[in-house]
Amino acid sequence: MKNSEVLITGLGVISAAGRGLSVTLDSFKRVDRNAGPVSLFTTSLECPVFEVRQIPAGFIVEKSRTLSLALCALDEAMDSTSLGDLTGLRVGVSIGTTVASQLNDLEFYRSYRQSGNAPMEVVDRYIKGNIAEFIARKISARGPALTVVNACSSGTDAIGMAFSWLKTGLCDIAVAGGADELSLIPLCGFSSLGIVNQSLCSPFDRDRRGLNLGEGAGILILETEASAKLRGKSSDLCILGYGASADAYHLTAPRPDGAGLEASINKALAEAGIGPGEICFVNAHGTGTTDNDLVEGKVLGRMFGPDLKVLSTKGFTGHTLGAAGGLEAAFTAAGLSEGWIPSSPGFRNKDDDIPITPVKEETRIKGRYAVSTSLAFGGNNAALLLGRG
Amino acid sequence: MNLLGIGIIFSGGRGIGRYEDALKQGWQQPVEYDIPRIQKRLPVYAVNNGDIADKVLLKKMRRADKLSKMAVLAASDAIKDSGVDINKNRTGIILSTAFGAHQTTFDFLDNIIDYGEAQVSPTIFSNSVHNAAVSYITSALDITGPALTVTRFSFPFQSALQLAQVWLLDGRCDSVLVGVADECGEVMRYIFDGKLGTATDGKVRPFHFSPTSPPVPGEGSVFFVVSWKSPEKAYCRIDDIAFNEGLGPNEASDIDLIDSDGTIDGTAYLKALSPTVPVAAYSPLFGSLMTGSAFNCAAGALMIKKQMQYAGPILENPHNVNLVDVSRPAGIDLIRSIGYNCSAESAVICLRKSRL
Repeated sequence: MKNSEVLITGLGVISAAGRGLSVTLDSFKRVDRNAGPVSLFTTSLECPVFEVRQIPAGFIVEKSRTLSLALCALDEAMDSTSLGDLTGLRVGVSIGTTVASQLNDLEFYRSYRQSGNAPMEVVDRYIKGNIAEFIARKISARGPALTVVNACSSGTDAIGMAFSWLKTGLCDIAVAGGADELSLIPLCGFSSLGIVNQSLCSPFDRDRRGLNLGEGAGILILETEASAKLRGKSSDLCILGYGASADAYHLTAPRPDGAGLEASINKALAEAGIGPGEICFVNAHGTGTTDNDLVEGKVLGRMFGPDLKVLSTKGFTGHTLGAAGGLEAAFTAAGLSEGWIPSSPGFRNKDDDIPITPVKEETRIKGRYAVSTSLAFGGNNAALLLGRG
Repeated sequence: MNLLGIGIIFSGGRGIGRYEDALKQGWQQPVEYDIPRIQKRLPVYAVNNGDIADKVLLKKMRRADKLSKMAVLAASDAIKDSGVDINKNRTGIILSTAFGAHQTTFDFLDNIIDYGEAQVSPTIFSNSVHNAAVSYITSALDITGPALTVTRFSFPFQSALQLAQVWLLDGRCDSVLVGVADECGEVMRYIFDGKLGTATDGKVRPFHFSPTSPPVPGEGSVFFVVSWKSPEKAYCRIDDIAFNEGLGPNEASDIDLIDSDGTIDGTAYLKALSPTVPVAAYSPLFGSLMTGSAFNCAAGALMIKKQMQYAGPILENPHNVNLVDVSRPAGIDLIRSIGYNCSAESAVICLRKSRL
């Protein structure tokens, strides 16, 4: 394996596919698609969503489902690497989100509109709920802490940011990933854009009709090799490269030639010092929208060839927005570690305009390197390159 | 790293030249705005809409909100001010914001309430996401390097500046446009007044410390171009950005610049300040806001570049602190920009005279 300065020593996930990595992988094997109508709030919009069925009571933060999801994944991630007492450790916190960053409480605003008197507890909760600051306080982390709000690439960018912190010695350990709850606001917004599927999503499929929203959290514990050694820990998983590029094109549409995504992947490859031929699979952003999948599929085909093993796990989780990059990096790490990737749910028919073919069944993989990609509103593109020793 | 250019838009106008004028002129009464739903009229250091009416730069973003327009103008002005021909593929953007596009978010909630969930505007939704402003910056300036929007309530600017340094250190970029943007729409004025009160005379009194004098909300955007490059025009060097490590280097600074703006109890400032180092705070020029540190840093960088000290705009001094109370030429090698949060945690940025 290439020399890595940054190990992945812990993983934690929660999504509609399950709580905990082991449960999630079992769910992947069974090709469970745990979608259903919205039950978390009242809405007139009818479309399937991927809700988390239960968050254990111990992780519930009152009136903040995003923080609750994050704490649940954080607990698993820290537990998996026996990270408890942080005394003497320089720990950073880098978390991506979308919903938790906005003061978008509908009842608060309705009350303000109607009476000019809105409950300030909502504001207090919002101020205390900045997700990176909240987690840093919760675990007494004394290193850098930032919440990344880069729309759908937030989780991937948060991991990339933590990777840079660790490489430059700003901290020894970083809690990195993403979390987002299902919320009425983005559901209305994505519906208005005409990209919400009325049935289950089918990423990269010829007949794809949009995305399903989901929720969840994916947290990675990243650590310098020196820190892990001092703690008596080891890991054969690592982050080797991160690339991010802006499209400089449009607020919502991806750049048609995919130049930004291609540049991001090339940067991650260059940082890792490996070539495209060494990548054994790509966990694609693959939302199931017409535009995203067309652009992403063309870029992946151009860079890795038509025989690339590729999947989108959004058929299992829905599009979890700010959590997606965290969850998908964890799934990518698990794929490298386990030696298999699940089927890409919803994919049935090849689109002649897309030169890649997602895997239709559980697939063995051989190799040490994989890529996880994210594209986002605002023209953000991000890619992580993960490795296994 | 070196600070090569500054772009700024604040209640006093647009551009670093206008900011320098404001530092020279001293305090100006902010405009009062109605908060109709609570039948109050309160002062706000608000950016004048005329100052964001740039028909050339903003011609492709007519639907963008005030936050995005302020950010695009400040970012563009920072690059122009640097005089550097930046490599657009190797330039990163980091925008830090405390509250993001909250006014547009509330506009979107208006849509849901007034028209129903199925009839909302996709344009308003797209503009309500936190990273819309950076997206407009990338398009307007054709910058294709990494572009990131971050948020936190304690030290949002200092954290972003530290990340810019990290990006330069690990070779991710050759230069970084790093800055802040926050707006103060109607609902935020209501929240601000409800949580913190507002000084009805419009005066931010940064040296009252404890008990604080009421703040006055502000808005605006500041961007800096930072790089390893050290052209003759550079404002200053930024070497140290430290959190919770005391007040930085042992050597005495020439001026301590504090982020005090009436929003939190200032006892930590009062305890930390040295009687031998003159202190300045420029929040009375741009108002009280969580990203105010960036505006103070812009003043510090200007003072080092011009070798001028600017008297604080409001000098009420009940604790007899050693204030920068006269504007005059001065030999300035080191300015510490000091911030505290409500838990008395500190963030210090050291601005040093550039070595050519």
